[in-house]
Amino acid sequence: MLIMNNIKKVFRTDLVETHALRDFSLEVNEGEFVAVTGPSGSGKTTFLNVTGMLETFDGGCYTLDGKDVSQLNDNQRSKLRNEKIGFIFQSFNLIPDLNLFDNVDVPLRYRGFSAKERKSRIENALERVGLSARMKHLPSQLSGGQQQRVAIARALAGEPRFLLADEPTGNLDSLMARQVMQLLEEINQQGTTIIMVTHDAELARRAQRNIHIVDGQVSDYQQLQPVLDLAEA
Amino acid sequence: MFAYYFKLSWLGIKRTPMLTALMVIAIGLGIGVSMTVLTVNYLMGKDPIPAKSHQLYHLQLNAMGKGPEWNYTADGYPWQVTYQDVQNVHRSEIPTRKTRSLATGVTIVPDNTIPNETGATPFLESTRAIDRDFFAMFDINFIFGESWNKQVDIDAENVAVINKELNEKLFKGENSIGKQIKLNAILYTIVGVIENWQPTPRFYDLNNGNFNSTERLFIPFSLLPIHELPSWGNNQGWKTETVNTYQDKLRSETTWNQYWVEITSRDQLAQYKEWLAGYISQQKKLGRFQSKKAGATLRNVNQWMEYNHVVSNDSSILVGLSFMFLAVCIINTIGLLLAKFLKRAPEVGVRRALGASRKAIFIQHLVDVTLIGLMGGLLGLALGQLGLVGVKNLYSSYSQLVYMDTSLIIAAIAISLGSSLLAGLYPAWLICRTNPSVYLKTQ
Repeated sequence: MLIMNNIKKVFRTDLVETHALRDFSLEVNEGEFVAVTGPSGSGKTTFLNVTGMLETFDGGCYTLDGKDVSQLNDNQRSKLRNEKIGFIFQSFNLIPDLNLFDNVDVPLRYRGFSAKERKSRIENALERVGLSARMKHLPSQLSGGQQQRVAIARALAGEPRFLLADEPTGNLDSLMARQVMQLLEEINQQGTTIIMVTHDAELARRAQRNIHIVDGQVSDYQQLQPVLDLAEA
Repeated sequence: MFAYYFKLSWLGIKRTPMLTALMVIAIGLGIGVSMTVLTVNYLMGKDPIPAKSHQLYHLQLNAMGKGPEWNYTADGYPWQVTYQDVQNVHRSEIPTRKTRSLATGVTIVPDNTIPNETGATPFLESTRAIDRDFFAMFDINFIFGESWNKQVDIDAENVAVINKELNEKLFKGENSIGKQIKLNAILYTIVGVIENWQPTPRFYDLNNGNFNSTERLFIPFSLLPIHELPSWGNNQGWKTETVNTYQDKLRSETTWNQYWVEITSRDQLAQYKEWLAGYISQQKKLGRFQSKKAGATLRNVNQWMEYNHVVSNDSSILVGLSFMFLAVCIINTIGLLLAKFLKRAPEVGVRRALGASRKAIFIQHLVDVTLIGLMGGLLGLALGQLGLVGVKNLYSSYSQLVYMDTSLIIAAIAISLGSSLLAGLYPAWLICRTNPSVYLKTQ
């Protein structure tokens, strides 16, 4: 359960003060698939960063799984992020020097799992995204769609409660985008809560709920009819 | 987790080989220069006989008359003592051990010992005239035989102790006890062969080169008046005297001998000082020791080295300058580390998003600099060795100072690691404080 009440986030420079989030309130329930849309500069990514505790906020209250995030120090936030949240980025953000196995290993290392446990989780996660045969490959040896699947495996390996996806299909062609979207839906069906920032209205329609952000505020809650297949839309 | 950090560091080094090489060279140069200077400085001032340095005392006497004072030392005491004083104070039985000492020299005629084998022509050899206690006082080990007996210190005999090197040269390393060598056309019997002995600094005679080689040949001091052995060291005088014969010199106020005693307790030291005071009082009655500063001073080995400025001020300044150079290298390394770490900022953003705390990122980057520091330290050690070889080639008198012992090698690695950690603190702190979202944002 994720609850945000009147969250404020202001970016300040010497000359300009930008209100990225203004009295932003939102509740996301366990197992939901929420799409976040809005024009460029509306505050979608800021919302995702605050949700993932990568950014602090200037006001309001944010509770993640019953924990008041504003009361946590960096160590505690990092631990909570590591245990509860998985990230998927538009540009995949895989570490180029590490092979797939080691890339998926990164969050598990910080989690403190044993070598045996890590190996089992990595193999399962890569199996789940269909890349178990390419564990020793470097990211540069994969296509964009495959890289995003590795990023999803990395996000899933720690079995997080929440998956935060920032334009996960933004760098992919339509076929790859469809495959990634299907994978996310499967993950959601298995109980993982997904919050996905997207520009793509078609993708947004496949989510259970669509949140539209304008000028740092939730402008509309939309309960959309889930779309079973992108091809049918 | 540290093994994981080391793995990441190694990958990081492979990713930025040029930057890493520049940092290793910067640290290596700083360490190399510092260690070269520090090694020379350290060995100059190192306690040459740590087990006994506190119980070996060098005697100085100011036997001067009224008039001008001795201005060459801080306390107005000549470095050496006269022959007559050496002979007089040698009568005291208070010290546990005692030795008179003089740097002299002889001509050795080798064909007397191994004809046609060494094939060498007669050669001059620096020699030390001493008493039998000398070897035991300074912990010198014998390979063959032993020192001459005590009576020889009184009733001179033509006996000699040689070191291993000279024994190799004259007798091909065989047990030469009982064999004879011809010194200044006089036959001497070998009674002992010692290990090669090279204290650094050469504390027992700082009047004749702090870092010179030790003598290879030792003969009884009691032979001085008999063979009229010349002084091969410094002779200092303060009184206008006519010295035409060797006997004149023995009776003169010229200071050209040294005197060492071994004293093992405070009571013994107090007793000996009291005895010396009595001696001076007696001499005053004879018209000697008339100066305002007349008296006796005993200095242990370390005090004696400090008194003689074995570690010169120039050397200390050089150490300071070399560490300033190291500081410049560290500052350069900070700049290079900043470039390297900031290049890696996007990866840090990803790691933070995946659960790495600031502390974890900070430690990972300190491991990075530790690895670089270790490589810099090893390069610095190699450069330091080269520097010491350069010192040896430039200054032959420092030839005994051109090695690094274990403590210096450990110090080099420690200084290198400390320097690199110091250089890495700010860049690591900066990178761990970076907002990860800046590098994750793609829209």
